[in-house]
Amino acid sequence: MKGRTSVQPGYYPGFSTLGQQANWDEATRATVLKRVARSLELHFFTPEEAPLIEAIFEHILPQIDRDEKYRIPIVPVVDERLHTNRLDGYRYENMPPDQEAYRLGMQAIEEIARGKDGRGFLELTPLEQDKLLRTLHDGKPEGAHHIWERMPVHRFWMLMVQDAAEAYYAHPYAWDEIGFGGPAYPRAYMRLERGEAEPWEVEEQRYEWEAPEDSVSDIYELISGHDLHQATPGQGGTH
Amino acid sequence: MNPLKKYLFNERNGNGHALGPIQEIDVPMRRFGEEEVDYVVIGVGSAGGVLLQRLARAGFRVLGLEAGPFWNTERDWVSDEAGSHNLYWEQLRITGGTHPLALGANNSGRGVGGGSVHWAAFTPRLHPSDFRIHSEDGVGIDWPMTYEELKPYYEQLELEMPVAGPAYYPWGDPHGYAYGPHPMGGAGDVLIQGCTKLGIGVSIGGPVAILSGSHGDRQHCIYRGFCIQACKVGAKASTLITHVPDALRSGAEIRDDSMVSRIHVNKENRVTGVSYFDVHGQEHFQRAKAVIVSGYAIETPRLLLNSACPGHENGLANSSDTVGRYLMAQAGNVVLGRFHDLVRIYKAPPAHALTEEFYETDSKRDFARGFAIQTVGPLPIAFAKQMMTAKGAWGWGLRRIMMDYNHWAAIALLGEILPWPENRVQLAEAKDRFGIPVAKVTFGLHDNDEKLIEFGKNKVIEVMGAAGAEEVVQETRFAHLVGAARMGTDPRTSVVDKYGRTHDVANLFVCDGSILPTQGSANPGLTIQALAARTGDYLIAQGESIFNTNHRDMMQPAIRRDLAPPGTYGRGVPRLANLTS
Amino acid sequence: MDKAKMQRLELQRVVEMERPGQSLESEGLDAIEAVDEHLREGRFQRGLALLSGASSLLTGLEVGYEHYRGSYSRRVMYTPVALSLLLVAGAAAGFMSRRGARRVLRPIAALTLADGVLGFYFHLRGIARKPGGWRFPMTNMVMGPPVFAPLLFGISAYLGLIASYLRREDDADHPADDIAWIPRAAHEHHWTKALPGKRISKPETITLSQDLREGKFQKHMALAAAFAAFFSGFEAFYSHYKNNFRYKAQWTPVVLSPMLIAACIAAMRNRKPAHTWLPALSAAAVVDGGVGFFYHARGIFRRPGGRKHLLYNVLYGPPILAPLLFSACGMLGLLASLMRRES
Repeated sequence: MKGRTSVQPGYYPGFSTLGQQANWDEATRATVLKRVARSLELHFFTPEEAPLIEAIFEHILPQIDRDEKYRIPIVPVVDERLHTNRLDGYRYENMPPDQEAYRLGMQAIEEIARGKDGRGFLELTPLEQDKLLRTLHDGKPEGAHHIWERMPVHRFWMLMVQDAAEAYYAHPYAWDEIGFGGPAYPRAYMRLERGEAEPWEVEEQRYEWEAPEDSVSDIYELISGHDLHQATPGQGGTH
Repeated sequence: MNPLKKYLFNERNGNGHALGPIQEIDVPMRRFGEEEVDYVVIGVGSAGGVLLQRLARAGFRVLGLEAGPFWNTERDWVSDEAGSHNLYWEQLRITGGTHPLALGANNSGRGVGGGSVHWAAFTPRLHPSDFRIHSEDGVGIDWPMTYEELKPYYEQLELEMPVAGPAYYPWGDPHGYAYGPHPMGGAGDVLIQGCTKLGIGVSIGGPVAILSGSHGDRQHCIYRGFCIQACKVGAKASTLITHVPDALRSGAEIRDDSMVSRIHVNKENRVTGVSYFDVHGQEHFQRAKAVIVSGYAIETPRLLLNSACPGHENGLANSSDTVGRYLMAQAGNVVLGRFHDLVRIYKAPPAHALTEEFYETDSKRDFARGFAIQTVGPLPIAFAKQMMTAKGAWGWGLRRIMMDYNHWAAIALLGEILPWPENRVQLAEAKDRFGIPVAKVTFGLHDNDEKLIEFGKNKVIEVMGAAGAEEVVQETRFAHLVGAARMGTDPRTSVVDKYGRTHDVANLFVCDGSILPTQGSANPGLTIQALAARTGDYLIAQGESIFNTNHRDMMQPAIRRDLAPPGTYGRGVPRLANLTS
Repeated sequence: MDKAKMQRLELQRVVEMERPGQSLESEGLDAIEAVDEHLREGRFQRGLALLSGASSLLTGLEVGYEHYRGSYSRRVMYTPVALSLLLVAGAAAGFMSRRGARRVLRPIAALTLADGVLGFYFHLRGIARKPGGWRFPMTNMVMGPPVFAPLLFGISAYLGLIASYLRREDDADHPADDIAWIPRAAHEHHWTKALPGKRISKPETITLSQDLREGKFQKHMALAAAFAAFFSGFEAFYSHYKNNFRYKAQWTPVVLSPMLIAACIAAMRNRKPAHTWLPALSAAAVVDGGVGFFYHARGIFRRPGGRKHLLYNVLYGPPILAPLLFSACGMLGLLASLMRRES
């Protein structure tokens, strides 16, 4: 990892949204603090499945540049959603329920890995793992076609990235990383224009940031082979 | 409490049910029990909230049944993106077709206030041309009413919300707004910059139903940008704070966490009441002299279809086979641009500037109808998801682009998609936790829609480029839902008449976004509330005859400005249009 | 003989009396000295009425659009707009005639002053009612109603009030000569009770009133200038703070106003600073306001949409008239420095 090594990646050194919690309302503070101190126990994924799903999400949203103490839990968040059957309000007609989709997807990934030279996904090198996952991103999985017939690969891919993004960017450590101000009630903003920082925000300090060499996810392209609309994940409303 | 402290910090007494930092409901709610009421309103959202208020104020015994909770804004709402998912209809729905719609967070609410709790609150009116697109352009269908019939209700609701915007709004039927425009945030500046450069007119600081001044106990906007996570400030209008308090004070009852499963019809073909499940899963029957369905474009047809019974085998009020059909969403492509300088798009409301310069049909283009361009303000999670589709970002790439979050601005297309019979809501095999079949939504685009989206998308990209973006990407998506129980004059091709009364059952009404025959390129919230106020006036003018006869009187009722919630008048800028009329 | 000629002769007489051998025509400087003389003797009712009218016009325009930003969400928000227009009319009446000054300008000015105080109350309350209220004083002052603006608005009313008690430029030199318009017993006028000498006995009230007529209220005027500089400077501070002091020049009113306040206080205590520091800093404030006006205008044109959306950009760009109000504070200081001290 080139660039700076610090507990907090990103261009806003020292920025801490949690440090602003005295200016938040009670309900919001409780919600965010609960997220920071959440239990890492798994209920949906079995102990056998856990290492595999952990390894997959370590590529979907890698955070090896983060200090151990400041890693953002992703799998426990996804696990809770699946365990409590919290939906986004819809399911694609050609998709199985989310719980089944995850089990099928993990099975497919393991199958693809073993299909090459018998090694399981966990035994591949990080670069090999990244490359395998990239084939799913590209919509060109090299194997497990019987599973992809039951579940379109791009929809499964979107499901995972979406879940990862929802867990990661809901966390105050991620807000510090990207310079997002976090909760803003009752104290809100007064500098609305030109990207000016509030007195309690931090000015941007850019540096050259590079992904590890044994990864391929930093070079991304549009998902090929599918119409864009089919890739629409249906995120939270913007208008 | 120390009076100086009370003055300086304005602390709420804390005894009532909080509807904002200051506003609270201090009256005990009336309880009707299982006795027969005059009206049951199913769904207390944009339309339901207004209807309850009007009917209660006119002295009717009205009961609102709402599937979601009655929010206490201080306790239940958070200034947090992920923590606000419970505002949306998260229950299962199946989506499909050639262009499947993402549902839930995107377009339907749950809880008192409904979608108006999490809308961005853009409130443009429809244009006069929207009411006759079949006559003018040969597409879609004409409305059973004209713009002029709805206009007084637009003006009325713009005061009741109230709507902030420019003193002169040039598009459609030109008009001005009672509350002044808002200051700009980063996305607004980008839209203005781009439009000005290209010589495109732009409306700055509205029209949005967000306060740019105090309004009784409701506060001026604080520009925190969490509009679609529900406004804890009480600045953004939702029927929860604009109409529901007055409805309760006027004697209405709202039963929250009550999921209606079926509407009952007797042998005389009149509605007798509804069945609903309470929060404990207990089923109840509520008798009513008349029923109004205000469940929005998916739950309304789902309920009508689930209420099939002898005499209504295809679903209640569905002799035309139009219940569930002609569902519409608007094209909502989001165009994102990276700027060299910081933008910090999370500040200021997502809705604050727009242009309707391309709204009308233009013979120089190869498609009918048009589109608007509006600001949007994705918070980190929404932005990350946009980047994963717009750029295919994941892994380190997603981390990298998110580190640049503060450099990106977003503006969006809002384009008219025409009504098609095969875009519809049906019943799926899957059932919800009460055993009620869930909705299956099928959606696809037609030639005109695709051409419109292509042209519109490129226009938005052009604006983003003109504003000085270094890199421009776009994400295809849809916004809003209307149709699926459309109104019309012909009972063979529509579900309800122009007052929302079903053609098939004389004391059954539908009043919400689902009755819109076409949608224009305007966000539907204002139109839905205006239609609700108009239906309210009609029901009040008809009085007891709704309960006693099957007679259908189509006389236009006089607008009842006196039934507006207290405090509607005497605020805001006097407008020339009002003084002269 | 027409009035203008009479005035001229009168002026000539004053000049000759003070500086024998000099004629009015000798130098332009003499004309300035004549004005100076009028000020010193409290014979500047027309001038002050004019100043009050002009500043009232500025504040009226400013409050007009500032309250439009607040959407006139309370009817009371119309009062300062209506009153400032009335005050302009009152000032015109005061300019035209002595009777106008006393019968029209005075009551309007008093009412406007009261409205300014009322506005201050409402603005304080408005900030208190914002989420978090005074727990976030900076955020809520910046984003809420401008806390001191109503009092600043009161300053022009205050000037009008003073003007209504002055002698006119064409009055005779000695107070005794124009006994006809002198209030026989100033304590009958309730407004004097609102002046700083609130708790003083009747004879002293008469003295103050007498001093006013004779132009002997330098300390008093310096105090008014200090208050105005405080209000205006404070507004400049937090609105420039909102902008994060992006331009170094944004510090100038923030630095200048305390200095001006200090000079005013010094002038109240001592005669000397009234003729040195006070005019110097006041002049600097006048110039700074002018420069600020230029920058604010430029800022408006540089906003997105620039001149294409001029009205909106005036509304939400840098407050175009605020620097001129800062200049007006300087004018007050200059005025004070030219006056005689209270007896």
